[in-house]
Amino acid sequence: MTIRNVRDHGQRYRPRMACLKKVENVVLEMQDPKTGVKSQTQRLVITTIPHAITGEDIVAWIANRFKTDAAEARAMGTMMVAFGYIYPLQDHKRLILKPDTSLYRFQTPYFWPAQQWLVEDTDYAIYLAKRNIRKKGMLELYEQEQYNNLYKWMNHKWDFIVMQAKEQYRAGKERKKPDRVVFDCQERAYWVVHRPPPGTVSAMDYGHDRMVDPNMEEVKVCIMFIQQCIMRPRVKSSVSIGALIKYTTTYKEHDPFLHTCLPSSPWITDDVTYWTLNMPNVETPTKMRVERWTFSFGELLMDPRGRADFRLFLKKEFSGENLAFWEACEDLKWGAAETMKEKAQQIYKTFLARGAPRWINIDGKTMDITVKGLAHPHRYVLDAAQTHIYMLMKKDSYGRYLKSPVFKETQKKAVAPESHRFTRRPSLSPIILRQQEEEQKAKLAASGPVDITQLCRFTAPVPHLAVYTGICEAQSTASPGLMTLPNSAACPSPISVAIDSTPASERRFDGNGGPSSSHFPSIAEASVSEEEKQPPAPKSRMALSLSRLLRRGCNAPSVFASLSPKCAVASGGGKVQPLGVEPLAQPQPRRIANFFQIKVDIPPECRIYPIDSEDEEDDSADTARGGVKEIICPWETVTKQDGAG
Amino acid sequence: MSRWRQSVVEIQTRKRQVNECERAQATLSKVTACFQQMATSLGSNMDGNFLREELEETRTVAHKICSGLHRRLLSLLIEMEQGQEDKEQVERLWVIFLSSLENFQQDLKKIKVLQEIFPLTQRKDRQALINAGYAGGTSEVAARAAMVQTPWLSIEETASPDLKNHIVEIDVLLEEMFQRVNVPLWSVEPTQQAWLEGVSTQDGGQEEDESLEDIMEVEVVSQNNTSGCCNHHNCKVGCLLCLLS
Repeated sequence: MTIRNVRDHGQRYRPRMACLKKVENVVLEMQDPKTGVKSQTQRLVITTIPHAITGEDIVAWIANRFKTDAAEARAMGTMMVAFGYIYPLQDHKRLILKPDTSLYRFQTPYFWPAQQWLVEDTDYAIYLAKRNIRKKGMLELYEQEQYNNLYKWMNHKWDFIVMQAKEQYRAGKERKKPDRVVFDCQERAYWVVHRPPPGTVSAMDYGHDRMVDPNMEEVKVCIMFIQQCIMRPRVKSSVSIGALIKYTTTYKEHDPFLHTCLPSSPWITDDVTYWTLNMPNVETPTKMRVERWTFSFGELLMDPRGRADFRLFLKKEFSGENLAFWEACEDLKWGAAETMKEKAQQIYKTFLARGAPRWINIDGKTMDITVKGLAHPHRYVLDAAQTHIYMLMKKDSYGRYLKSPVFKETQKKAVAPESHRFTRRPSLSPIILRQQEEEQKAKLAASGPVDITQLCRFTAPVPHLAVYTGICEAQSTASPGLMTLPNSAACPSPISVAIDSTPASERRFDGNGGPSSSHFPSIAEASVSEEEKQPPAPKSRMALSLSRLLRRGCNAPSVFASLSPKCAVASGGGKVQPLGVEPLAQPQPRRIANFFQIKVDIPPECRIYPIDSEDEEDDSADTARGGVKEIICPWETVTKQDGAG
Repeated sequence: MSRWRQSVVEIQTRKRQVNECERAQATLSKVTACFQQMATSLGSNMDGNFLREELEETRTVAHKICSGLHRRLLSLLIEMEQGQEDKEQVERLWVIFLSSLENFQQDLKKIKVLQEIFPLTQRKDRQALINAGYAGGTSEVAARAAMVQTPWLSIEETASPDLKNHIVEIDVLLEEMFQRVNVPLWSVEPTQQAWLEGVSTQDGGQEEDESLEDIMEVEVVSQNNTSGCCNHHNCKVGCLLCLLS
């Protein structure tokens, strides 16, 4: 049984087949005995069959009827043949119209293509079975393939198919000979159209089926939306290109990339005069800036200095309420949501209500809309009025402003800085800076430990630095127990608070993290715990490999993971030993002492923490990477200390 | 003893009923095939009221057979128990009947549309008929269809519906059939093997048919003589006595 295909194949789903109706009308016209196509008799061996028409007659008729040229008529005729309304009597597999004496005949309406229904495979199977009966198995190759396919697929109704084929065959034999020939030709032509032989193009290919009924509600909405998208106003490319050219010509000289900016680009020369000259609310603007105000009203308004100038002008003209209203609307649009209602009300009272102190003049319709909208205020409720006022100002006040003495005054006073004459003088490259630093450190290291209690002006604002400075100092003073921060008093609590409050995973040790007063190791652990739970155990021989590791960088969890099996944790789990486990017996070894080396922009002469040579290698390696603030994790140093961390 | 006799009678009745259905199905096939053959003339130059009447008659016959067969098959299937020997046969009949109903309904839809396109109510409609090349009528086919006899003895008079209602009625029939009987359609095995129908010799007289291509090819030779006796387009007479020139 065929799966009941209740899908409608009508125009909604196969829209491209709508032309069939029109072709049918043309075919009907062709039948007219007076004005239709000339018909002839086809002579066969056994009989004659009427109503044969030549290709050239068809072409001539079409050309005459539609007033087109022969090529067009031929194309149209070919289309009719391809659809199956006319079939060729010779060369029946090629569905084209030959504009010569080749013969064609009209197809009977039963075999016309229909838009409403698809051509069923059952019918095709019956046809193939009939053909098989007639030709005793001598079907063409593609027909044989189709037969086999259909036999497989329609196996359950094959009895019906064979029965029907036999009956149709017998019924056909009842007819007279010429009619039988005609019928067979017709049927054969029908199936050439609807089951085309391989390698031919079928006119019945109508593209994709619509799977959805376009009259359904959701689909209708979709269709409407897409139609609106299509209907959006479009601009001719010539117009938009013209606008683009105009824009670039106008702004060409104002673009710092395309034109030198005066006095000089700070990025290149490191001289920030340009920025200072162009501050938002500078007293005297630059000439270029003033020129930009003349480009468009929007430019003037968007520039705070320009807006101020404009405001001044309007004050002199006693029409400042427009600008004030506009600014209030902007504030409403971009402001916080809580205050929106109040703001709207305030604006209404100040500008819109009758008898308002700063009443603005907008037309009745806009006022109507606005007042209605204010019943349920939202961000954009004043949009219409704002636009109106904007246009008013643009058309009216702006022009007058540009001619006004206020503007001319500003223009005259505008600064036109000269371009810097000096050559490019960039700041020192970080590499050079680093080298200088190292030299300084070397000098300092050679000169012995520094008194960290002396806060230089560069350390005070960065209190945590004090933490890391000169652990050696702490060692000498503190008990072997907790390593107290010598400067913890100076170390304001925010740091420790900050450290305590941020979870370990968030602690980024780029200058902010640091051990709180009594938790060096735990912080160190915390930094490790980001990556791996077990800190490497404090073994001195680990330190070397660790330091090698650390030179490669700190962020390799896998590396740490690989370390952990090798580490015999001194005391249980991830807990870190307090510092006092092993007494600090030996004197300060050469390489120690900094927990986190943080590179900050301190001029080399003010570095006060001792940096030894080995660490310098680390440093240089890091700075070579761009001088980014990096933490050299303190394990190596801590291990040197005493099993802590 | 009587019970055994009863069951034998039952079996025999059943067998008879099944055979009846098979014969009915065969006649239905015949009728629908003739119907299709006649329908191909609709809208062509041989179309006329006569053809349409013949179509109507054939359709009535088909309708009678359909309804009778439907009733009988339905009752057969409903009262059929599992494991009866002719279960397969009945199921096969069921599937064949369903397929032929669908096929017939398709034809009905087509002729409905065609009759709308070619109404034949006015004289000028005749001019719109397609010159499809038919010369003779389909009366023989109609006679063939009319000759069938319904195999059941009792005559049930059911009102024959008009075309539109007939189509709708078949829809209803089909739906009912699907709902009331639980036959797994795909499980039916056909008795016919593939390609067999072409092997067996049928009714003799096939020599002429297989040369349809040959027939059509001959005309290439006789191209020069394609027109009638004169060049007038209405002249179909191939003789010298044409009076139209």
